[in-house]
Amino acid sequence: MTITEEPAAPAREVGAARTRKEDARLITGRTTWTDNVTLPGMLHLAILRSPFAHARITSIDVGPALSEPGVIAAFTGRDVADVQGALPCAWVVTEDTVHPDHGALAVDTVRHVGEPVAVVAARSRAEALDALAAIEVDYEPLPVVLDMEAALAEGADLVHPDKGTNKSYTWVFDSGEAGTGESTGPAFEGAEVVLKRRYVQQRLIPAFMEPRSVVVDPTGDQYTIWSATQIPHILKLMMSLITGTPEHKMRVVAPDVGGGFGGKLQVTPEEMIAFLAAKRLGKPVKYTESRSDSLLSAHHGRDVIQDIEIAATREGKLLGLKVSLIANMGAYLGLVTPGVPILGAFMYNAIYKVPAYRFECVGVFTNTMYTDAYRGAGRPEATYAIERIMDELAVELNLDPIEVRRRNWIQHDEFPFTTVCGLEYDSGNYEAATAKALEMLGYDELRREQERRRQENDPVQIGIGTSTYTEMCGLAPSRVLGSLRYGAGGWESASVRMLPTGKVEVVTGSSAHGQGHETAWSQIVADSLGVPFDDVEVLHGDTRTSHKGMDTYGSRSLAVGGIALFNACNKVVDKAKPIAAHMLECDPADLEFSGGQFKVRGTPGEGKSIQEIALAVFAAHDLPDGIEPTLDADATYDPVNFSFPHGTHLCAVEVDTQTGRVSIRKYVAVDDIGRVVNPLIVEGQVHGGIAQGVAQALYEEAIYDADGNLVTGTFVDYTLPSAADLPDFDTDRTETPAPGHPLGTKGVGEAGTIASTPAVVNAVVDALRPFGVNDVPMPCTPERVWRAIQEGGAK
Amino acid sequence: MKLEQNFTVPVPVEQAWEVLLDLHRVAPCMPGATLTSVEGDEFTGNVKVKLGPIMLTYNGKGRFVERDEAARRVVIEASGRDTRSAGTAAATVTAQLVGEGDQTRVDVLTDLSITGKPAQFGRSMISDVSTKLLGQFADCLAGRLAEGGPPAGGAVVGGATAGADTAGAADSGAAAESGAGTAGAAVPAMSAPAAPTATVEAPAEAEAVDLFKVVGSTAAARRAAVVGLGAALLAVLAWVVVRVFRR
Amino acid sequence: MIPASFDYSRPSSVDEAVAALAAAGEDAKVLAGGQSLLPLLRLRLAAPSVVVDLGGIAELRGVREDGDDLVIGSMTTHATVLGDPLVAQHAPLLAQATATVADRQVRHLGTFGGSLAHADPASDLPAVALAVDAVFEIAGPGGRRSVPAAEFFVDYLTSALAADEVLTAVRVPKRSGWTSHYEKFNRTAQAWAVVGVAAMVRRSNGSIAEARVALTNMGPRPVRASAVESALAGAGAEQGAVAAAAAHALEGAEPSSDLNASAEYRGHLAKVLTERAVLAALG
Repeated sequence: MTITEEPAAPAREVGAARTRKEDARLITGRTTWTDNVTLPGMLHLAILRSPFAHARITSIDVGPALSEPGVIAAFTGRDVADVQGALPCAWVVTEDTVHPDHGALAVDTVRHVGEPVAVVAARSRAEALDALAAIEVDYEPLPVVLDMEAALAEGADLVHPDKGTNKSYTWVFDSGEAGTGESTGPAFEGAEVVLKRRYVQQRLIPAFMEPRSVVVDPTGDQYTIWSATQIPHILKLMMSLITGTPEHKMRVVAPDVGGGFGGKLQVTPEEMIAFLAAKRLGKPVKYTESRSDSLLSAHHGRDVIQDIEIAATREGKLLGLKVSLIANMGAYLGLVTPGVPILGAFMYNAIYKVPAYRFECVGVFTNTMYTDAYRGAGRPEATYAIERIMDELAVELNLDPIEVRRRNWIQHDEFPFTTVCGLEYDSGNYEAATAKALEMLGYDELRREQERRRQENDPVQIGIGTSTYTEMCGLAPSRVLGSLRYGAGGWESASVRMLPTGKVEVVTGSSAHGQGHETAWSQIVADSLGVPFDDVEVLHGDTRTSHKGMDTYGSRSLAVGGIALFNACNKVVDKAKPIAAHMLECDPADLEFSGGQFKVRGTPGEGKSIQEIALAVFAAHDLPDGIEPTLDADATYDPVNFSFPHGTHLCAVEVDTQTGRVSIRKYVAVDDIGRVVNPLIVEGQVHGGIAQGVAQALYEEAIYDADGNLVTGTFVDYTLPSAADLPDFDTDRTETPAPGHPLGTKGVGEAGTIASTPAVVNAVVDALRPFGVNDVPMPCTPERVWRAIQEGGAK
Repeated sequence: MKLEQNFTVPVPVEQAWEVLLDLHRVAPCMPGATLTSVEGDEFTGNVKVKLGPIMLTYNGKGRFVERDEAARRVVIEASGRDTRSAGTAAATVTAQLVGEGDQTRVDVLTDLSITGKPAQFGRSMISDVSTKLLGQFADCLAGRLAEGGPPAGGAVVGGATAGADTAGAADSGAAAESGAGTAGAAVPAMSAPAAPTATVEAPAEAEAVDLFKVVGSTAAARRAAVVGLGAALLAVLAWVVVRVFRR
Repeated sequence: MIPASFDYSRPSSVDEAVAALAAAGEDAKVLAGGQSLLPLLRLRLAAPSVVVDLGGIAELRGVREDGDDLVIGSMTTHATVLGDPLVAQHAPLLAQATATVADRQVRHLGTFGGSLAHADPASDLPAVALAVDAVFEIAGPGGRRSVPAAEFFVDYLTSALAADEVLTAVRVPKRSGWTSHYEKFNRTAQAWAVVGVAAMVRRSNGSIAEARVALTNMGPRPVRASAVESALAGAGAEQGAVAAAAAHALEGAEPSSDLNASAEYRGHLAKVLTERAVLAALG
């Protein structure tokens, strides 16, 4: 592709704090959500779910449901056993990964509470729900496996007895073996300082605002699936592969989608059940889950036990890093379940120079809802463990926590830097971000206050927590994905069409579900083509319109999709150039393009606007010979590297030692995400990301009881914080552009979550050090903090 | 979860064993339960449990797994499903009589499992409430056993009598005072012997047991506790009823 | 989820409401603001065959004075109680506690009487009703009766109301010369109290002449902390004496363990929060 050589026009739109085009309809709800889709003759589905965590279905009879009012049909797993196929896992991380079949409807055995066992189709949603009570199911309970370490032990009860084990896989990375660094054995041997810690990433629930919903229309020649999904393109491919429906007869539409956070990155049993019902009945069907269904049976996040060990010199220089994970897969493997902890494998070394690194992860089956991607997907876990243990190292060596990081981080002038994992970090300036954050926090003054309160045995203690992070986003270079056995590529696609009246239609393969792509893409196009921001229409989410894409997750849309768009715009300008030259009767080489105008360099007077050219192309009355009458252009971009935003977050907490309550006094975030397209969108992502990270640190945990019931089954017990629980965030940025492409952008969608959890927990632990506390398990509820204080002295 | 109840009655074990088979003394100790059929070692029935506005009706069945007259030991399995699919409850109840001279110790071990909506709340006090309810049953049972004497005969309709105690919140006076497991509310209704009738075949609709008026439990989220307890009650009721039919 | 079907009745008078309840037997449920009932209906943990909506009965709304008492209609919303000048003047503890109930949306629909009749020991108003010695006015088929707060809360989710009775109003004695505070400890801003303390004190020179203290979520019913009250009577209005009195907070309470807190932690919190509530009430 050609890159414009003329001096670029000063950016008017990129960098501007444009309020978002999509917000009016999203905030008021006046748009089409999947549940709003209503089709003639449409039936409503209700799904009967297993109340048992592990049981054999000894008998199941939907007959009584069929005589309930409004019921048209009902069926069970046995009725569709030979057509339902298996739900996909697109990331089988090793060759010998144990990958059990996972049918949408359970046939003989249920393996987690909430697993679908039967479905009813009725004329209304209420009638379908009422009819569920009539279905008779007999279960024979089987032993329930919940504890990961017990599941791996000899003689443990099995989630999948036919597989003979609860272990799904073991995945190892060793820098010595990979040749990207040294071996950890010698590095640890004889090290002056060795620290070992265990941390637990508790299970979380993504809890997106819009519950999942799916409509399937089998009418006519095609199947159309509307779904509240983050991945319409991937869903279309998967559904056609699994159901045997030819891909060109399948259309997937993600209408406006109300949040996902990775929780809608899935090929769900509900989508498959709706498809099977529609196909069987020959009528459109809809399934919309309730909130309690959603908490129970939309995939969960995190749930990993981390053992982390570092070797260092007395001066605090890291010599080696060893990480060992036990990751809870749940009862089955979801779309990318096994890969999530491994995505974090490359982030434990974080921003530091680590000579030797070894990572091992064991995936384990239990009788729980399966886990999968959730904001950060492996990287928050990694950042948490390393940032926590760096604080431990600081305490061990009596160094300031910032100083111990400073002694290890990659210096600004050392970029690009190839890490011990073999990743090449593109750019960064940890010094600048940290200095800014320290100043914004008032670090020195807070340390003095902390000291004073300690001296006075103040019942309210102060703690300061540090989190210096980088993250790998912009998923991802396709070759890297291939080497990790990920089932798909990481490119993204965009089409730009100039309409005869000069308006611009953009088709993107990204699938926004709250990120504001319509606005950011409009800004990029506005600057690239010199057209007004409001003249740009961004189309997405419908595979009939956006025929090609890899959807949205992994903080990739701007970093990959935005570049594809930028490239497509440049192709449009390139196509317009010879036509402009023809209209201006000059040589194309003499033209410069700026502010939407082609002008002959060095001469005054009128040029030709790109809109005029678009109209001329439409009429095609007078185009140069051999030129296609079109300005439309496509581009597909495969990134050559991940993008590595970074930042420093500092959190100051007050801990009421009498009650254990933690409140955040001040939260500072200085993030470097390269070039900023829209600061309002960035702020939104940072705020939301921090909120979810703080939620993990202080509030949320999905808990199963000994029988495998999810006891945090409503928002009463799954304590999601709201704005009322969170402080104002003090945010700022440094801007170190991403090299390698002119847009210079990195990703930001997950950075807030990745950074914030350790910042908060480090602060809590820092406050409690005088009590002999070196850890508080997450979430740091008031009771846990209080108990840590009571027990701390006993350590 | 496992719940244990132990109580001692001042009668020798042979007498305790016999009295235990006397349904019309024992069945009224189980409020809210209705037996609908008995066939050999198997039975069906339902238990209604009410907790403020929450009302759950469990239809269930159960069977004798083991009865050992020599060892004075009985094991029953029972399970029930809520009629509105709010979930299931299952219990395995093991009751053991141990003779201690003039006294008999009764050990009841219940293994209880609750699923469905009632289980999806942050309760962990199911054991507290179940313990209290089983305690109340046990106290009542202890009272029966201590009374001793020949069987009084008569209709065994567990629900109806207890219903009188639990109907309406206006009776709260007595129940409100009941702290941990006083059987006081149940006893007065029993002191007048019921007129003999032919069989136990006619189950009267049990008033839903309003468990918290009866036992005064303490947990904040006891919804699920109630559910599990119903199954446990059903199991114990079944045990006793089947004993009678096997005579 | 969607509730199971029910018949809906919207009487326009208290007598009609009582008749509707009596006709339906045990299987009817009163609907006030719906903030406690509707979630139970949606989860199908409750499925009454008849729902009797009191929303059309005007006489049940409003705050008025009647001699030495404030009379608060049972269907008065939390939002109304919060803003009412009579409440602010004569029983400010009610407003202090109501301000902590859930969130703005709930407060505009939820009712004073509905919350009390639901008798959830974790909600804020029952403890307040106990502390102020409110009297509950009830209408039933047999006529009208009054029940003092100490007898109204029978057990968890169980009040003294019979199935065919309607709470019409709550009488709160007007008090002057008292200061008060409601201390609520919860995990998130809209959550129920892990533990809450309602405290009222009357000073006399430098000491506490009299105190009224009640606890939220420390048992199956709200708890009147009588031992604390006795210890505070005559005590100095300063931190040491108050802390010593607050140490009695557990007496008469039976805290439970659940997802939010263990019984042990609740017991500890009760003491700390009682001290803080009384000190805050003292100003």
